[in-house]
Amino acid sequence: MRIWLLVALAACGGGPVRVDVDGEPPERLGQLRLFDWNDGELTYNDGVTPYELNTPLFSDFAVKERAIWLPEGEAATYTAAGVFDLPVGTVLIKSFLFPDDFRAPDRDLRMIETRLLMHGSDGWVAYPYLWDADQKDARLKLGGAVKDLSFVDANGDDVAFSYLVPQKNQCLDCHEHKSGFFGREVIPIGPTARNLNRGDQLTAWERDGLLAGLPALAEVGSAVDQDTWIDADLDAMSQDEIDRAARDYLDVNCAHCHSPSGSEGIASQLFLNWDNEDPFHFGVCKEPGSAGNGTGGYSYDVVPGNPERSILHFRMRTDELGSMMPDIGRSLVDEKAVDLIGRWILGLDGLGVQCEGEPPTP
Amino acid sequence: MHSNQMPTLAALSALALASACKREGFDDVSCRDLEAEDCVQVSADDPDGLIEALNGLAAGGAIVLGEGTFTMDNAVVIRGADGVTLIGQGMDATRLDFGGLKTQAPAGVDVIANDVRLEGFAVIDAPKDALRVEDSDGVVIRGIETTWSAGAATENGAYGIYPVKVSRVLLEDSVASYASDAGIYVGQCVNAVVRNNTASGNVAGLEIENTQFADVYGNTVTDNTGGLVVFDLPGNPVVGRDIWIHDNEVTDNNRANFAPGGTVRMIPAGTGTFSMASRRVIIEDNTYANNNTGDLAVLAGLVVQGDPEQWKLSKAELVGVVDGLDLEEDATGTSIYNWRTTDVVLRGNSHSGSGTAPDASLIDGAPGLGTLIALTWGDLAVDTVLYDAIGESAFDPVDPAGNSNDNRICIGADPGVTMASLDAENLSQAFPPTLDMVYRPAPPFAPFDCAGFGEVILPDLGDLDQTP
Repeated sequence: MRIWLLVALAACGGGPVRVDVDGEPPERLGQLRLFDWNDGELTYNDGVTPYELNTPLFSDFAVKERAIWLPEGEAATYTAAGVFDLPVGTVLIKSFLFPDDFRAPDRDLRMIETRLLMHGSDGWVAYPYLWDADQKDARLKLGGAVKDLSFVDANGDDVAFSYLVPQKNQCLDCHEHKSGFFGREVIPIGPTARNLNRGDQLTAWERDGLLAGLPALAEVGSAVDQDTWIDADLDAMSQDEIDRAARDYLDVNCAHCHSPSGSEGIASQLFLNWDNEDPFHFGVCKEPGSAGNGTGGYSYDVVPGNPERSILHFRMRTDELGSMMPDIGRSLVDEKAVDLIGRWILGLDGLGVQCEGEPPTP
Repeated sequence: MHSNQMPTLAALSALALASACKREGFDDVSCRDLEAEDCVQVSADDPDGLIEALNGLAAGGAIVLGEGTFTMDNAVVIRGADGVTLIGQGMDATRLDFGGLKTQAPAGVDVIANDVRLEGFAVIDAPKDALRVEDSDGVVIRGIETTWSAGAATENGAYGIYPVKVSRVLLEDSVASYASDAGIYVGQCVNAVVRNNTASGNVAGLEIENTQFADVYGNTVTDNTGGLVVFDLPGNPVVGRDIWIHDNEVTDNNRANFAPGGTVRMIPAGTGTFSMASRRVIIEDNTYANNNTGDLAVLAGLVVQGDPEQWKLSKAELVGVVDGLDLEEDATGTSIYNWRTTDVVLRGNSHSGSGTAPDASLIDGAPGLGTLIALTWGDLAVDTVLYDAIGESAFDPVDPAGNSNDNRICIGADPGVTMASLDAENLSQAFPPTLDMVYRPAPPFAPFDCAGFGEVILPDLGDLDQTP
């Protein structure tokens, strides 16, 4: 769904974007003039480019609108792996919205929060902005918020839950990676070549001067477009399609921690980055290190052919605090993804591995 | 006249300020007691104010928590600022209650910051871990309590006080109870002093895991499933070494295992101390009493992970100091294995009343180490020191000369000490296992009558120890 308008209006506070990535963040989001939000219409200012990801992070079904602002005359530099090199001065903007009723997801959208990730001279800094009830502007809220939200889901059922607007410090739970054993750095997660490579998005970035060094598109990998499975009949997908979609889902939703450069990945030795090909490290017959109640009473992260007895699957299908994963930012169960990951685990039966002490798979 | 008035006015306003700062609920410690330039006092009735203050913390800043219970709906997170202090009015007076947490969080109090001081408050009913400090250097944890109000329950959070991947940590005067995994868990740390703490009512009381250079003393570890344990887990790049466990009380650790799962689920009730897959460990001058399965065990890592290949670590990825460890190498010389337990010295410990009722229960339907011990010893009291003899080149149940001590396990012939070498691999295959199969030497326990490797290398905390 595209609710934004690519029109350069003089509407945004009546002037160009006004960002100082090294200064104190303003109290009100509107002071930055990044975009306008009026009557359910999102209008980005000149120089602010909206973008979409192939496989986005699941955030309790929130509708997310992403955009990037690059300083005048500067461009991102292409990298095949990881996030593009984004120059100092870059601002990544992510807004989280909910409709009243997901049967009409474009209608009655309300802005809940907008998160900014700003590339200052000393590195990236994250700021949460919380939207006013009147939807006129958002205010800097370093402490974030735990909000009681409700909506009608796609099946027409009422859903009520606690939605986390992360504290500034909690942004680092996902965005701070290890660099060396005792070192840390804050980095963006979404804008990778694989996840941005959809339609003509990358060539448009290159054409508009936002991206330098883009190779021929045929050489650029791409993550699975979530639209191909999120509303699809998974029965109609081949095992190969399931596997690739599942690995990309795990990559986006888990690998910011569960990778060889993530603290939790190192501690648990569970690496869910899409390009990890070692079955033990993506959980096959691997016992958890310190999962506590997160085991659900099961023994292994992944039991090939048996999602029900796989801890990874259990931690996705539960909504118990203390047991579920990810560690932060989810209150509701992503049922469709649970189904997808379940089918991936069923397909791992093909590895021909039997975990010690597990009942034979039916 | 004018010049005379000035000091009087200044004094008056200083007095006014002082009374304002010394607000009710900050009797024990207030911002005036701290050197921090940037200091905020937060009252217990203002949990949102606490969250805001935490996220506004600048480097070197401090937050003083007032007396009372903070009812939290979100986690207390300290990240992105070094040199910070979070201090309360004492563990009995300032309570952070996470029982009403509304969204998932890795820990109640979740800290990644260098040179951080956490002191004088309690952390209650955290759904996952209570206090976790990760990836940090220079950490003081003092006078903290972590607990769960339901008492021992499988649904409780996993860890109480949990410094992990920390260099230089001082953990003292704290109390940890009712964790469904470990009360105090010092994991993958380099340079740790753990002293004068109490761990009770947990599955594991006090754990030192994959840690280098730790001085652990003056702790009271009682009423847990397992008491005070030292071990490496497979696949972790910090190879444990130089652990000094002394002058602790490890008593009455007989609580039924209530862990939901994980490695800790394998600990038999009645376990005092074990040293597993660890090296250069001295356990001396501790008091052991009434641990029903046994006081001390020296175990190879293969007891919990039987596949040696899972214990393989490439040299390139190792963290910390591995000089002088003489670790077993693979054929190419590029990797090491750390399942073996070597250079362990046990001496000067006192023992009484232990080993009288080993925990024979099955773990998820399968016999465990406790089951093996119970079957083997039957009605006899279990020896105070058990050695699994895994990795030894020679074993004989009768002839001292038929036993190797390749792993250099040294056991002092102190009063009350008895010793048994199990040859656990073979014993666990026997039906039934019997004491005839066990080597039970009389003092001086040859060939385990060695003096040991010398002294442990003590942790270097730098100036951390001097923190007021």
